[in-house]
Amino acid sequence: MKEKLKTFIFSELIYHEDPASFGDDDDLLEAGLDSMGIMRLIMFAEKEFGVTLPDTEIEPENVNSLNALERWIKQAG
Amino acid sequence: MKRALPFNPADYFTYVLDQEIRDAGMPGGYCGLALQLAAEPDLSALQQRLDLLVERFPKASAIIEKRGKRYAWIATGRRILLERHRCDPTLDQPQETQRILLDIFNRPESDPLTLHWIAGRSGGTLLFNWLHPLLDARGAKIVLDFLASERPERFQESPSLVEAKLAQWGLWKKLKLLIKAKRHNTQANSVDSCLPTANTQGQQTLKLKVRRFDIEQSRRIAETARQNTGLTGRTLYYLGCFMRAMERVGPPHARAGYCIPYAFNLRRQNAPTPVLGNHVGCLFARATREQVKDRKGLFDHLLAEHSKVVREELDVGYLPLMWLGQWLEPAKYAKLLRKQHSGNELSSLWFSDIGDLSWGKAGFLGVPVTDLSMMCWMTLPPGLALLVGQLDGRLTLSYSYLSPAVDESWLDQVLNRMDKELLESA
Repeated sequence: MKEKLKTFIFSELIYHEDPASFGDDDDLLEAGLDSMGIMRLIMFAEKEFGVTLPDTEIEPENVNSLNALERWIKQAG
Repeated sequence: MKRALPFNPADYFTYVLDQEIRDAGMPGGYCGLALQLAAEPDLSALQQRLDLLVERFPKASAIIEKRGKRYAWIATGRRILLERHRCDPTLDQPQETQRILLDIFNRPESDPLTLHWIAGRSGGTLLFNWLHPLLDARGAKIVLDFLASERPERFQESPSLVEAKLAQWGLWKKLKLLIKAKRHNTQANSVDSCLPTANTQGQQTLKLKVRRFDIEQSRRIAETARQNTGLTGRTLYYLGCFMRAMERVGPPHARAGYCIPYAFNLRRQNAPTPVLGNHVGCLFARATREQVKDRKGLFDHLLAEHSKVVREELDVGYLPLMWLGQWLEPAKYAKLLRKQHSGNELSSLWFSDIGDLSWGKAGFLGVPVTDLSMMCWMTLPPGLALLVGQLDGRLTLSYSYLSPAVDESWLDQVLNRMDKELLESA
């Protein structure tokens, strides 16, 4: 799951010179994930993993790292 | 025959607006980003970079020509010369700088990109002025980064992101999105928009009012935005606050509601490429006057609409529409894009958010960037644009407006109200 999220994030939303070096706990918001990017990421996750991620749960602690995203998606599943 | 560099669908979209602005006797679809610098940068190094820009990206000094049914950039190879200006040292420096900025911005222009150094008593202002079909606002930051970078080879041209997105979809997917977007547009066009102008006649001059918020105020606004419109809706917060400010002061051209188009950018955050071109789609924030009166209800409504639009892929649904629009003449395209069923103008305001900018400790060519402002021409109506940007955590709202079309005392009241709306607690 994390690999799919990472591929989507670095191919569509954020530029990083070396995405492989971006850790699972590194801060996605600091790396440049903006409000539009979060929305597109949520849409991707919902379609890719067949879950519904409620708007009310769009909080920094759910989207600020690959590990956080994975946890959130698994909880919603 | 000289090599033609074709427009992408989003370039043509902005060209249509450029033509409408020119047809109304104004310079065209120009935008400006002005950086206040703490000292004079190395101007000869800057000129060398401008030369390299034209060498590497020939569109930067190209002209627009019609080729068959479509439009394209034709490279000229002409140099872009850094223009130097000087503030009168005996006058108030901020006022004098703004006077020069607006003199430059109001002059007739044909080049797609110009760069100006306005020397003040200490430091000065660097004005980057560009024609919208050449690049979007994020592209402007990338070109500035190119001009100041120690590694200019990092910056490469690449294919249009709009066309790359369109190429991912088969014909049926494109058609499906097209129909969805058309329905969405029809719905948007059914609520007549309030406008900031009652009179649209006569010769117009572009003027500018800039509101700057300190770090503490900016942090408070960001926090209030998060409470009202969530992590995904900072843009919606600005737009909702503006709708409320205009409603509370009273719109000069009162109709059923408000509609403010806003762009979403397909560029990856922090990417040094693509450099030139427009890589944007279009979304609309809409609300009736009744909805605008209830602050919390308005933000809930805008956020719900935004989520629905993204979930239904209407954000990218605009791309096939823009692709089809490439074969329409500018005047016809403009009419289809922006006129409501009543014949009224769709946009209550032009809006753009360039996001968070920082030149960090390295500054621009080694010189600290201390402030920013932005400006743009727009169609009349609406005759008013709000450009938002944040420099090192400090929020700046730049309002460009056409005078005399927009009444200055009315605008001052709206801006005061807007400041209060932004800072109001959730």
